Amino acid sequence: MITTLLIFHGLCAVFMLGALTHQSLSVWWPARAGGGTVFHGFRAVRGASYANTVVVLYVATVLLGSILYPTYRIGVRSFFEDLRLSAANGVFELKEHFVSVGLGLLPAYWYFWRQPLAAEMAVARKAVTALLAFIVWYAFIVGHVVSSIRGFGP
Amino acid sequence: MSIARVFPVFSVAFAVLYVLSMDNNWALFTYLARAGEFHPLVYAPPTPRAGPAMYWWGWLATSAIGAAIVAGIAAALPAGRAGGRWSSPAWPTLTWVVPLAVLMVLVFLLRGWFIRVA
Repeated sequence: MITTLLIFHGLCAVFMLGALTHQSLSVWWPARAGGGTVFHGFRAVRGASYANTVVVLYVATVLLGSILYPTYRIGVRSFFEDLRLSAANGVFELKEHFVSVGLGLLPAYWYFWRQPLAAEMAVARKAVTALLAFIVWYAFIVGHVVSSIRGFGP
Repeated sequence: MSIARVFPVFSVAFAVLYVLSMDNNWALFTYLARAGEFHPLVYAPPTPRAGPAMYWWGWLATSAIGAAIVAGIAAALPAGRAGGRWSSPAWPTLTWVVPLAVLMVLVFLLRGWFIRVA
């Protein structure tokens, strides 16, 4: 059961990572007309169309992570403490707190991406999107590394 | 005016309240992971058998309720001078500056995991 939840947690994170990376690049480095490369296509998306999906995926990923958290707290964190791997625990603690701050950012993120896009909120829209992308990338990498050190479950 | 205008206020308040809740342990409830028990506010398990106490969900609840109250107060303020203040150009900027600062504060608060703190 825990393994299944972890896989769904990871899948939601992957989808969200893709959506937020597309969206961030589309606002920070918008594609010019005429480009035909894969990277050009990656940036040439309508960022606003990702906003609702990102919110839903973020909440779903946090919910799944919350269900998994007690298993981590009992089995993984104490294992790291026994081995004095405090940096591994530290980066995971940071992940938990960064993700929480990101959760609180979602209402503002959704508001800034509401259609029609308000020009006076362009800077905030870019900054909040980049902040969320950073949080999700950090959480994804740390989650993957920590799972690789110990594995998961009892 | 739409309630959504105070969403940035919620986000700023949530970030500030979260770091305060975490640093001061203002958990609305505690979960004992091994025993599977919820307890109101901050609860220290009497025996190690109950397993470690989890406060994270409690901090999230404290922050969410607190931020909802702050946003509710902002929404209830009449339009005009006070209402204008909540929807002033400063709020979109605060919405990313404050959470960014909170992330840095979190790194500072958790530095003990990475370096020796006197």
